[in-house]
Amino acid sequence: MTSDPFILQAMVILPLLGAVGVVAASQMGVGLKFIRQLVLMNVLITFVLSLGLVTGYDPTKTNASGELQLLQFKSEILWLGSPANDVDPSQPKIVGPDIRISLGVDGISLWLIALTALLMIPAVLVSWEAIQERAAIYYALMLVLESGMIGVFASLDIILFYIFFEFTLIPLFFMIGLWGGYDRRWAARKFFIFTLAGSLLTFLGLIFIVLSHSWMLEAMTGRSSPLVFSIPHLIEHFPRLLAEPQNAAYWANVSPWIFAALFAGFAIKVPLFPFHTWLPLAHVEAPTAGSVLLAGVLLKIGSYGFLRFALSMVPGACWWALDFVAILCVIGIIYGALLALAQDDIKKLVAYSSVSHMGFCMLGLFAFNNIGITGGMLTMINHGLSTGALFALVGMLYERYHTREIDAFGGLATRFPIFAFCFILVSFSSIGLPGLNGFTGEVTALLGMFKTRPVYGILSLSGIIFGAWYMLQLVRNTMYGRLKEPLTEGHGHPAMAAHGAADASHGHAVHPHGHAAPVFATHHTDLNLRELAALAPLLILIVWIGVAPQYFISKMEPSIAQVVKGLEAARPANK
Amino acid sequence: MPEFLVTLIPLCPLLACLAITVLGPKLLKENSHWLTILGNAAAFVCALSALIALTSTSMIPQGHRTFELYKWMSLPASANTGALDIAITLHLDSMSAIMLTMLTFVATLVAIYASSYMHGDPGYPRFFACVSLFTFSMIMLVLSGNFLQLFMFWEAVGLCSYLLIGFWYEKPSASAAGMKAFLVNRVGDFGFAIGIFLIWIHFGSINYADTIFNPELLAKVAAANPGLLETICLCLFAGAVGKSAQFPLHVWLPDAMEGPTPVSALIHAATMVTAGVYMVARCTNLYMLAPHAQLVVSIIGGLTALIAALIGLTQTDLKRVLAYSTVSQLGYMFLGLGTGTFLGIGGAMFHLITHAFFKALLFLGAGSVMHAMGGVIDMRHFGGLRKLMPKTYATFLIGSLALAGLFPLSGFWSKDTILASVRMAAHPEAHAADSHAAATDGHDAHGKQAAVGHDDAHAAVSSVDRTNVKLFGIRATVWYEILFWVGSFTAFLTAFYTFRAVFMTFHGEERIPEEAGHHAHESPSAMTTPLIILAIGAAFLGLALGHMTGIFDGFLDKTVHGVAAHHAADWFVIGLSTVAAIAGIGLAWVMYAERSGVPAAIAQSMMPLYRLSLNKFYFDELYYIFLVVPVMCLAQFSRFFDWIGVDGLVGFVSRVPGAVAKLARPIQNGLVQFYALSMMLATAMLLWALLVRPGW
Repeated sequence: MTSDPFILQAMVILPLLGAVGVVAASQMGVGLKFIRQLVLMNVLITFVLSLGLVTGYDPTKTNASGELQLLQFKSEILWLGSPANDVDPSQPKIVGPDIRISLGVDGISLWLIALTALLMIPAVLVSWEAIQERAAIYYALMLVLESGMIGVFASLDIILFYIFFEFTLIPLFFMIGLWGGYDRRWAARKFFIFTLAGSLLTFLGLIFIVLSHSWMLEAMTGRSSPLVFSIPHLIEHFPRLLAEPQNAAYWANVSPWIFAALFAGFAIKVPLFPFHTWLPLAHVEAPTAGSVLLAGVLLKIGSYGFLRFALSMVPGACWWALDFVAILCVIGIIYGALLALAQDDIKKLVAYSSVSHMGFCMLGLFAFNNIGITGGMLTMINHGLSTGALFALVGMLYERYHTREIDAFGGLATRFPIFAFCFILVSFSSIGLPGLNGFTGEVTALLGMFKTRPVYGILSLSGIIFGAWYMLQLVRNTMYGRLKEPLTEGHGHPAMAAHGAADASHGHAVHPHGHAAPVFATHHTDLNLRELAALAPLLILIVWIGVAPQYFISKMEPSIAQVVKGLEAARPANK
Repeated sequence: MPEFLVTLIPLCPLLACLAITVLGPKLLKENSHWLTILGNAAAFVCALSALIALTSTSMIPQGHRTFELYKWMSLPASANTGALDIAITLHLDSMSAIMLTMLTFVATLVAIYASSYMHGDPGYPRFFACVSLFTFSMIMLVLSGNFLQLFMFWEAVGLCSYLLIGFWYEKPSASAAGMKAFLVNRVGDFGFAIGIFLIWIHFGSINYADTIFNPELLAKVAAANPGLLETICLCLFAGAVGKSAQFPLHVWLPDAMEGPTPVSALIHAATMVTAGVYMVARCTNLYMLAPHAQLVVSIIGGLTALIAALIGLTQTDLKRVLAYSTVSQLGYMFLGLGTGTFLGIGGAMFHLITHAFFKALLFLGAGSVMHAMGGVIDMRHFGGLRKLMPKTYATFLIGSLALAGLFPLSGFWSKDTILASVRMAAHPEAHAADSHAAATDGHDAHGKQAAVGHDDAHAAVSSVDRTNVKLFGIRATVWYEILFWVGSFTAFLTAFYTFRAVFMTFHGEERIPEEAGHHAHESPSAMTTPLIILAIGAAFLGLALGHMTGIFDGFLDKTVHGVAAHHAADWFVIGLSTVAAIAGIGLAWVMYAERSGVPAAIAQSMMPLYRLSLNKFYFDELYYIFLVVPVMCLAQFSRFFDWIGVDGLVGFVSRVPGAVAKLARPIQNGLVQFYALSMMLATAMLLWALLVRPGW
């Protein structure tokens, strides 16, 4: 397979074009039906491209001199400044920033990009009927979000990464704030402020990395050197700079601060305890597609950031912070599970379970060995699939009954056998039943942690008991027992009522049949074909990764080994 | 022995499960059972041929073989860890072959039985899909070649158990029981997983071949980390305690009777609950190096046997009596496993097989009664059914006699071996020559050429000094002496509660509850035929395979060398247990054969004890008060804390800039007089500072 950089570029640009197209189409008065199909088509094409990316990625690819080429599908355009040249002293001295639009994937970002492209399909399909007002803008925002998410993972340049990083924030802010539930304004604001505050600190940290690199280079070569923003370049060159004792001493002083700055943004994004309080609110208020993407992809930007920047660029400081982060993870795992146990809203329960699951993911990453990091990576994918599917399922229930109160339901297995089958399957994936994906990631992450710090492994293992407890209690209360359904006909959808007034001014986006009828059309029926199509790809992967994860692992493994090598080189003597 | 024949054993039930899941609800409907029966029967044929192939040295000369199906996960060694290499394998040896044959045989019979028992149930295809899934998972559990695969299918059978206990999910009690079973098992699995992780850390592998089948390595690791193997064994045993419903995690099994009766027979009596016994027996080499852990296994086993038997005395629900009996009999198996003698291990494995037959028979018999009585299973509501249901009665009687351990039925042989092994452990000096003979015999007979064999374990085994093993300051021999009498007393209790059930159900005057309606007749032949086949097994298995012929031990010896060592019959144990069984049956006859006032009078005179037994020693209540309530309180507290504490703190931090601004805001009030005043005050202070206190 050729690794044609066009595929990756297209995956970033296509959704943007789609967004423009959707808005343009709606301005021309095209109906919702056509817009939806346009969006679905766009998302499907992007997904097919991602399949090309996955199958085309060759983890064993080498260049002419026999070195592993882990970064593939590479492309770059110089954007600002001048090309860096710190390798060849014969070249003239060039000073200035070297910022490039450079894209590429390695075994780590590959899967997160694929996950993003995949989760867009259910995200569009669950919005199909639920979103009737200003749908064109909604879908345009969603496509912009997709482009941003793929861009974050595909960026090979710090500035580009940061632009995409912030880029993901704005569409979701509007999706929550405009199409969300009752408390959507506050939720959107809290989400925005939290994430922005963290990401500003992260940006400081990133810039400091760039500056430090330049300073240390100057100290070594005695020449003023350009500001290099290329992520792979920085990762590759840091060890070389640190060979100089003077640089090493400087770096030992500075890198904990850099880690702290990176930590601020990424820990909020993951979220680690105690930075998680924005998450349940944002989830509960977000429209279903927003929740799917938020849990499925956006949280992974945090863990991806840890892996790509913290673990790869300041490995020494990571060792320094190991116990601190691991303890936060353990607290998050148990505390998140306990919180989930106490919830009476299904969506809130799932949101808190995310805190618990992402704790496992981070625990795997901070095991600092290839087993743990592989587990962390798998958990990222798995959590995206399972939690994405759970949010989609909750959304389907909400579309039928307009409530997510656990106590309002009972015995749904009788009424919706297919829904119940999917719900129970996904619940067991979340519980970590072997044979389904959740187990694969968590057991590998824990195996890794047991190698590094057994005590955190043992403590977090108790999370599997609580994890089963809250999920099974949810299944029992909603799916089993005697049939109990909430009375919904009299109640309106609060967000919808609020939108009713706004619709008058945006007449073009309103469905011709009005907004109430199609929502109730699915009432009391089992999953329809569209809903099944939304879930099917997730369910297939849930089983696939559980039964035979090796395909996924083999593609990510060499890239992870690279990170581990850096971590091991930076390992302090006392750890 | 072609690989594909072994692969077929799990494949047939798996295909059946998938086919029923896809085709069942729309196409197969009331014919779904055919696929399950066919799949199970095909698996049985394959398992039986594998068993036969193992007996011939020409086909499988090493006595065991591992087939790798595919790599589940494979990570190369990296800078700071060794390679991780986990494959899905089928490990065939005599121990797994015995389990497989029994499992597939019972599963086939239960599927035939269930085709009639479950007739007309709206969830008919779902039931058979789950049963096939269970059979597949259990087969894979038995055939595991590494600890992770064992754990995976260990949880998978737990899932099937969960789904089948809660099969009638509209019933709140059924869904609660399913959840309870899963959660209690998870508690055990917590320990199990830690055990596996410890093995992985210290051995660098979780394959059997690199750990429990490698005695030299075991001995080396044991020497390097004193106490490590004891910890690992106790952790693994925690898993067994959960799965095999031992004290203190036995509470889920009686509740599991909410499931359909065929499920109780297959999963909660014959197969899944014995997985713990199988696992501990599988890890014999490990346990042999951990005498303290072995003693704990025996003590937990003995204690469970006694407690469950005491609870069984007063239960009135026929299925619950049998459930407590299962708990009690599983306790016996652990009692044998923990003795550290090959007699005990062979006895436990044999008891596992015989118990599977007679307990499955008893459960299916109870199901037959339940079927005829219109779903009523409380023994106080019916009686004297022996004329109405002659086949059920006759087979149930055989099963009960086997359970009571009466010569020459199968239970007698296996239970007797276990008790003899406990007595042997209590008096090691009397049997020293015997066990030594066993060790050398096993060692010499097999030599070095069996690479992955278990032969060299014996050298290690005999090197462990058991004479000074103490627990709570009491010597092991004293513990075993106590356990021997506990076991013998439990044998008496077993005979008593079993025949209490028999007499209450089948003897006395005929009484049929209203719910029975027109159902009150003998069950159809699809149900009675499996009963008869199982009854034949329950009656003659011990005679055919037990110590008289030595076939079972001889075959198991291929895996656990030393089991087949000859030992003299312990007449004291035989005599004692026979007396206990007859006494128990006799007492039950006196008290329950005719409805009399005796039981009520006894209950009256020992009210507190009676209450204790009737309420199952209040285990459920204790767990509720000391576990469930605190966790729920903690959860609610966390919710409150998250709201006030964590989010409150965040809110506080976010208000800091605003609050600071608020403090400064009154200064900018726009009043010129205020500005003038503050200017003057400030100037005055400055002057004061400069002039009055020039020293500053």
